[in-house]
Amino acid sequence: MGERVRRVREEPGAGPDTAELMRHVARGDESAFERLYDVLIAPIYGAIRRVVRDPAQSEEVAQEVMVELWRTAARYSPERGSVMTFAMTLAHRRAVDRVRSAQAAADREEHVGRREAARPFDEVAEQVTARFEQEQVRRCLGTLTELQRESVVLAYYGGRTYKEVGELLDTPLGTIKTRLRDGLIRLRDCLGVA
Amino acid sequence: MNADVHALTGAYVLDAVSTDERQVFERHLTDCDACRQEVAELRETATRLGAAVASPPPPRLKDSVMAQIRVTRQLPPEAPVVPLRRPRSPWALRLSAAAAVVLLVVSGVLGVLLVQARQSDGTGADAQAAAIADILRSGDAQVVNQGDASTGRMTALMSKSANRMLLLTGDMPNAPSGKDYQAWTIGEEATKSAGLIQPQGGKAALEVAGIDAAQQVGITLEPEGGSDQPTQQPIMTFEVT
Repeated sequence: MGERVRRVREEPGAGPDTAELMRHVARGDESAFERLYDVLIAPIYGAIRRVVRDPAQSEEVAQEVMVELWRTAARYSPERGSVMTFAMTLAHRRAVDRVRSAQAAADREEHVGRREAARPFDEVAEQVTARFEQEQVRRCLGTLTELQRESVVLAYYGGRTYKEVGELLDTPLGTIKTRLRDGLIRLRDCLGVA
Repeated sequence: MNADVHALTGAYVLDAVSTDERQVFERHLTDCDACRQEVAELRETATRLGAAVASPPPPRLKDSVMAQIRVTRQLPPEAPVVPLRRPRSPWALRLSAAAAVVLLVVSGVLGVLLVQARQSDGTGADAQAAAIADILRSGDAQVVNQGDASTGRMTALMSKSANRMLLLTGDMPNAPSGKDYQAWTIGEEATKSAGLIQPQGGKAALEVAGIDAAQQVGITLEPEGGSDQPTQQPIMTFEVT
């Protein structure tokens, strides 16, 4: 178990060398892009879906993100982090931007009622790597204090600003800022992010 | 506010900051190696949070994405997507030094505030110097002072033809706890945020672009992180003339 976890740890994007794929994508290689899509899409879509919730809008955002990766592939540099981190950073920001626009908020409320009944994708079996990832993240979230954990979860998965987090948890803003940072640092150490 | 900016790392990485705060923080990042390192690590950590909720989308998404990339032109490799820290090349230093000389000359006439602001912590100092030079070159530069000891004193250096204003201060008190100063362009059509002013040791500078549609530039005290629209009466205003 220890060994397998470590392998997943070293390669969150497990499988093909994504930096190498990016180099090919930068030269307009569509089949390399297709392989990159296969590696990235479940984490990207899953994270977007968690923030945006509405499946149709989540698909739109995921498509924007993947097309942006194609468009800007030549500007990716491995020194700035892994391809997965590059893509996930873009995805989360786009997801948050989407939910913060007032129109999207209205759409979300409108759609949520009729879509909530059937959630077809939640039941789909997750990939093995994703399950390891999930167990590890869950375990590490468990090492945070309650306030750290609630703050981080509301901010990241809920797409809330730290001000909204402060209101929701009835906690001063300075405290929330500190807890978000402390919480992430503790997570980093637990997950072994170098 | 300095320690506060630093404490924002977590919120920034989690996209839990307002657009204005994001800009302030990213400006801070260009001058803080330790912060960039921390952001990189925490970003990777946040990525793990995202990957932990992986879930495959409907297969039709792939067809749709593949169809779209076939009609999407790729950007060339030059010019980074996000502005990266520029290395301090001799050229940048020379530019900086030249701008400082201009400022010294100008300050003899216009007062000492400009130079004080120029020294503020190095954040975007080059960009600031460039903005000052741009305004001074315009031929219609104006300088207006506002405020008193209680509000803090600010100087606006503006040019309508350069379409920008630089707000500078050397003795601005910190905003009360839980508040931030926010600048606004106030026009007939709309009032728009021009960004937050976060003095460090009393010093602050903010470039306000696009003043052509504005009658005034005003500064209000807003809840920390700023507001979408002003919620208070301005503590000072500058007429755009």
